Amino acid sequence: MKFFLPVLLTTLCCGIGGTGVRASAAAEGTGAPLPEAAGRAVDFVKDIQPILTARCLDCHGPDKQKGGYRVDVKTAALTAGDHHAPNIRPGNSAESPLIHFVAGLDEDMRMPAKGAPLKPEEIGLLRAWIDQGAVWPDSASAAVQDPLDWWSLQPLVKPSVPPGAAHPVDAFVRAELAKRGIAPNPSADRRTLIRRVTFDLTGLPPSPEEVDAFVADTSPDAWEKVVDRLLASPRYGERWARHWLDVAHYGDTHGYDKDQPRPNAWPYRDYVIHALNSDKPYNQFVREQIAGDALYPGSADGITALGFLSAGPWDFIGHVELPESKTDGKIARLLDRDDMLSNTMTAFTALTVQCARCHNHKFDPVKQEDYYNLQSVFAALDRTDRTFDTDPETANRRAALQAERAPLAALVKDLESEGTGKGRVFQLERLITDLRQGAKAPERPEYGYHSQIADRQDTVKWVQADLGAASSSVPLTKVVMAAAHDDFAGIGAGFGFPLRWKLEISDDDAFQREVTVIADRTGEDFPNPRSEPVTVDASGKSGRYIRLTATKLAERQNDYILALAELQALDAAGRNVALGGRVTALDTTDVRPRWERSNLTDGYYHGRAARTTPEELAALEKEKAGLLKAEPPDSTAARLAEVRKNLADVDARLAALPPVRTVYAGTVLTGSGNFVGTGASGGKPRPVFVLRRGDVRQEGAPSVPASVPISHELPAEFHLPPDAPESARRAALAAWITDPRNPLTWRVIVNRVWQYHFGRGLSDSPNDFGRMGQKPSHPALLDWLAAGFRDGDQSLKALHRLLLTSETYRQASTGNDEAEKTDAGNTLLWRMNRRKLEAEAVRDTILDAAGKLDLTMGGPGYKDFVVEKPEHSPHYQYALHDPEDPATHRRSIYRFIVRSQTEPLMTVLDCADPSMSVDRRNETLNALQALALRNNKLTLAMAVHFANRVAAMAPTVEGRIHAAFRLALSRDPKPEETAALTAFAHEQGLVNVCRIIFNLNEFAFID
Amino acid sequence: MRNLSPFHRRAAASAGAPPLSRREFLFRSGGGLGGIALAGLLGGENLLASAVPGTSSQVFPPKAKRVIQLFMAGAASHVDMWDHKPELEKRHGRKWDPGEKVELFQSDLGNTFASPWKFKPYGQSGKMMSEIVAPLGPLADDMAFVHNLVSKSGVHSQATLLQSTGFVTPGFPGMGAWVSYGLGSLNESLPAFVVLPDRRGFPSNGQKNWDSGFLPGQHQGTIVQVGAENPIADLFPPQREFITTGGETAGLAMMNRLNQAHAAERPGDSRLEARIRSYELAAKMQLAAPEAFDLSKEPAKLLEEYGIDNSTKTWPTAINAAEEADLMGRKCLTARRLLERGVRFVQIWSGCDNGFPRRNWDSHEDIARDHGPLSLGMAKPVAALIQDLKQRGLLDETIILWTTEFGRMPCAQGSLGRDHNPFCFTNWLCGAGIQGGVTTGESDVWGYKPAAESVEVYDIHATILRLLGIDHTRLVFRHNGIDRRLTDVHGHVIEKLMA
Repeated sequence: MKFFLPVLLTTLCCGIGGTGVRASAAAEGTGAPLPEAAGRAVDFVKDIQPILTARCLDCHGPDKQKGGYRVDVKTAALTAGDHHAPNIRPGNSAESPLIHFVAGLDEDMRMPAKGAPLKPEEIGLLRAWIDQGAVWPDSASAAVQDPLDWWSLQPLVKPSVPPGAAHPVDAFVRAELAKRGIAPNPSADRRTLIRRVTFDLTGLPPSPEEVDAFVADTSPDAWEKVVDRLLASPRYGERWARHWLDVAHYGDTHGYDKDQPRPNAWPYRDYVIHALNSDKPYNQFVREQIAGDALYPGSADGITALGFLSAGPWDFIGHVELPESKTDGKIARLLDRDDMLSNTMTAFTALTVQCARCHNHKFDPVKQEDYYNLQSVFAALDRTDRTFDTDPETANRRAALQAERAPLAALVKDLESEGTGKGRVFQLERLITDLRQGAKAPERPEYGYHSQIADRQDTVKWVQADLGAASSSVPLTKVVMAAAHDDFAGIGAGFGFPLRWKLEISDDDAFQREVTVIADRTGEDFPNPRSEPVTVDASGKSGRYIRLTATKLAERQNDYILALAELQALDAAGRNVALGGRVTALDTTDVRPRWERSNLTDGYYHGRAARTTPEELAALEKEKAGLLKAEPPDSTAARLAEVRKNLADVDARLAALPPVRTVYAGTVLTGSGNFVGTGASGGKPRPVFVLRRGDVRQEGAPSVPASVPISHELPAEFHLPPDAPESARRAALAAWITDPRNPLTWRVIVNRVWQYHFGRGLSDSPNDFGRMGQKPSHPALLDWLAAGFRDGDQSLKALHRLLLTSETYRQASTGNDEAEKTDAGNTLLWRMNRRKLEAEAVRDTILDAAGKLDLTMGGPGYKDFVVEKPEHSPHYQYALHDPEDPATHRRSIYRFIVRSQTEPLMTVLDCADPSMSVDRRNETLNALQALALRNNKLTLAMAVHFANRVAAMAPTVEGRIHAAFRLALSRDPKPEETAALTAFAHEQGLVNVCRIIFNLNEFAFID
Repeated sequence: MRNLSPFHRRAAASAGAPPLSRREFLFRSGGGLGGIALAGLLGGENLLASAVPGTSSQVFPPKAKRVIQLFMAGAASHVDMWDHKPELEKRHGRKWDPGEKVELFQSDLGNTFASPWKFKPYGQSGKMMSEIVAPLGPLADDMAFVHNLVSKSGVHSQATLLQSTGFVTPGFPGMGAWVSYGLGSLNESLPAFVVLPDRRGFPSNGQKNWDSGFLPGQHQGTIVQVGAENPIADLFPPQREFITTGGETAGLAMMNRLNQAHAAERPGDSRLEARIRSYELAAKMQLAAPEAFDLSKEPAKLLEEYGIDNSTKTWPTAINAAEEADLMGRKCLTARRLLERGVRFVQIWSGCDNGFPRRNWDSHEDIARDHGPLSLGMAKPVAALIQDLKQRGLLDETIILWTTEFGRMPCAQGSLGRDHNPFCFTNWLCGAGIQGGVTTGESDVWGYKPAAESVEVYDIHATILRLLGIDHTRLVFRHNGIDRRLTDVHGHVIEKLMA
């Protein structure tokens, strides 16, 4: 956010929401007198409420509660407010923030924000009312809605089934119809039914043979057999995975600028298909997608499922070209986690938590704190490739071998660097890489060492570096200290540098004996060096440990600390012998990567690269080369050889395992450059703060991982220990979502499934079960289904079967004048809804009719484009694709989905936009669709194949038209249709007949 | 009933879950007021006022009917084009110190960097404009400048989306989509919202800048590749032996016959009729669009004014003003022809993605090398377009908005380029309802930040919607539980911009 406008807005609309510091400072500073309190008894209803209503209510009333404050509800007015509560202090108007604001004591917090200020008399009345005890009769207070008093948040209890029908679904539906006196439609004919259910469950038409068999099947369970056959078909998972991927906003490129491909996204798509085909219990399906790595360790599904978290778009530039220390880099990461958490909460609970990023949710019980608690759940994650094994046994063996390998590799490293100072080579390498870039080097996020906070400024604190055993006899010429530069809090240079301090050197790490003082600045305050490193003459003194002791700490806001970016000890050759040295301290606050003890000797501090001279760089290079060449002592060499052999052995066994696979997932990243992730700290979550107005520069209170308080029965808190691994946070959220007490999860999934079968959800806003969403048309039916689903096997296939075997599903879709008078929208389900085929089903059916559909399952997506200029911003050129390329004749679920340049045919047919969660496809009818279906090169190419196919099936034109109708429309043509099309075929050819069929309303709509 | 209408919010909030009415069903299936299905059924241009009873009084009398948005991809430099800064000339080459820490996107803080171009005053208003926009100088008194715009991001992707859709993340409808949704089409034979991208590639985020997002699909910007063999995808079939002119007509008639019979058996479903009609409209579009794109009948003198050069077949490899003007001129002239034929909103892009060699406004390396030809190649045809619209009386009904994702810094990057400046940049508007010759907000002495108050894209969008007769707070679409607006929760109409 850039940067003064948000601040401006704060004053304009945030109402009682600025900073308390500022308000009180202004009150003291200006010393402007407050208008005198009115000298009479004041009545709230008569004197005060009219002022509040006229001047405050627009921004602090039922519609808006800026700054979390409202003046129409007594308790809220007296106690609430984001930043100044209580704004009214009964008995003390002079100290009441509300009076300060209306009196204009603070330029930036003048109230009302719009319009003229209150008159002095009005302020006088307010003052008098407060001074007289702020008496507010309850009868004059608006009632506040209980945010939990909403249908979807009520405990889920299974209602009883009304009488009147054999099938429970019919019983619920008909009970409502009966109330309105509407008769349900009769059943559709068998041809219609099998076409309906086959498209519904598989996204493809039934074969003519399947139609014939069902029409001829006289057994009482003919319908059930069809349903079961389709549910068992692999095509089912392919069809229904697309529904889920719409919600998860899955894509195969990153989107945003450059829109680079994401070549390992597809294993998640395959996971969804497989999960549905194998009828994975829904709660497991949920848990795997949020925390499969933690909850199902060793299983491939537990990893591939994490593709859910990374399914949405990713801002490449914001992460790769910008560090987390820059404002735009912070925003990119905030929005990235926002996408992860809203994807999770929207998909599984239909809660629109993302509304609370900048302010408390206006309608639902989601406060800003809750939102940032959810940010904490995902705070360790990034989107990146993650490797995994396909079978648990290999995964276990690999994990064991890697566990065996890690100490061996560390030991090798230690032995190799023995005598040269552990970590020195590593630090040199990193440093040289940075310094080579000179002034262009991005600043590292590793600020330095940070002590714990002290209450008193004279608290003594120390931090010291171990220069290594070999250094104890090396005379030092200079000691250099660089002050920290805190970009994160926006404080800048000089952060935490002590006012009084001394530097000492000793061979005793406890500094109890033989301590030599290098510099003593404890006598008077030392000016803050800001970005200029402090150089102290060491005059040839030597010792193994060098210690900085602060006797007067640096002040933060109301407390005191010691922080330092870098401590260097230079020998006569100018070599920094402290580099990579072990750091100890009296106490420490580690907030990796910014604050960590080892940062003190990493050779790096803010602005370091810009100060580098070529000579210095050359010296560092030379030293590194020397260290790498240094021969270890003989005893070490023997040990090294042995350990290396063991390491090689482990590596060989690792290499013999089946190859690892890769999925693009929401996971802990161990990266480099600006895109570093949290891997280096073992996946320690980034600290998350409540951001005022969602502004990354306005950090408020720290957040803890937790969910949203949506239910009295289900606590939102996770109560995780502070050192719990990051995956425990996600596991806790997964447990919260799949807790049987969660009132949303079960209603949400059942409603989604209902919608895909019936064309409309029982609640018509599947992604929003909050107050802005739609109340269900059949609440008891929804609860009955949801409770049954929750308490049963959580089998989606069982749920499909239950819905599809109802008579309600099998009704004809034809209109009925009488019913339309009462319920034109068919909310009450007196008929089946006629469905427009989705983009994927249209394309798949065209390929199927043409005999070209390739049913190969899984693997990387097909690309129906040619990529030009892949090196920078790829151009995805659909126009250059050859529609005859058989590799692109697979089902549409396997399409490689580009975000910035979408496939024209699918797009015009209303396929889901992978940039947002789509709970329900738009269904449009427009000229561009007509043009695409008639003229698109794929439909034309397939019309030719379709014609060739039917030509081979029958010798006569009539026979060919008959075959084409049966393949594409699942019926025989009527005699007049055959006659007309036969005549047309003689004039225009069979291909044009096939082209017409692809464009028919009957092709596009399923009765 | 997600959307009773663009202005459904109040009604929906008070109603529970009423059954779908025929009209609602149409909105949903045909997709909003601008939907073709409705255009046919409700008819007329002023759908907005007549379609929603009780809301007409709250709609402002429109001062404009159409919009052209000129978008300079990559971030055009305000201080080199419109926002004259003598201070930069005075302090050129010296340390630049705005008195606070400056966070740059790519570079370290360079020295103060004067524009390589000279500025001079134009018109009654005496507006200072640079050599590289000189062709627009004579129109200075028609243009209203906003020099105090700020962005929310210094990253191209987010900032471009912010200007095009009002949000920094993808998935939101472009401004043209909102206008199409709110006002519908003036000519059902052409799309309401047309995008003329740079032929060399899409800008950052590609189609997400003109997407319909959650709005119904027909409001998405239709891409017209000016000068390409197939300017609109699938407008015509590729050449196949089985496709003949007569056959196409006969085929449509046959399909229509079968569809009518099918619909007759299924009364009460207006979508079936709407789909039949969509094929009729498609046929009309096949006639209307090629005619609209055909520049061959335009007089040679006019082509020359637009910078269109039919004689040069191959251009130099280095970036040059003549080629830029030719590319931009074709888009500008096509835009005029589309506006004449009733297209509501035309979005013209200058500049493509950040590929090599650079062909956009992101002049990190060399302002003079890239901004010179790009700007001259933009200013000439845009000036011709404004004059042309004026002469035809169309400027009185058309708003022109010139924009970009952010500005560029007053200091140098390297020694010749400028880094991103999201803290300040310029827009200008002209045409219907716009007060010409004014500057409504100034930048500071550097062009680094606004001098006083700032303006955001929401304010520009709110103002344009107002000129179109729309209250920006009431053009609403409920999506995933949120009543979405082009202006999010922001936006103040800039009264000073309006005539």
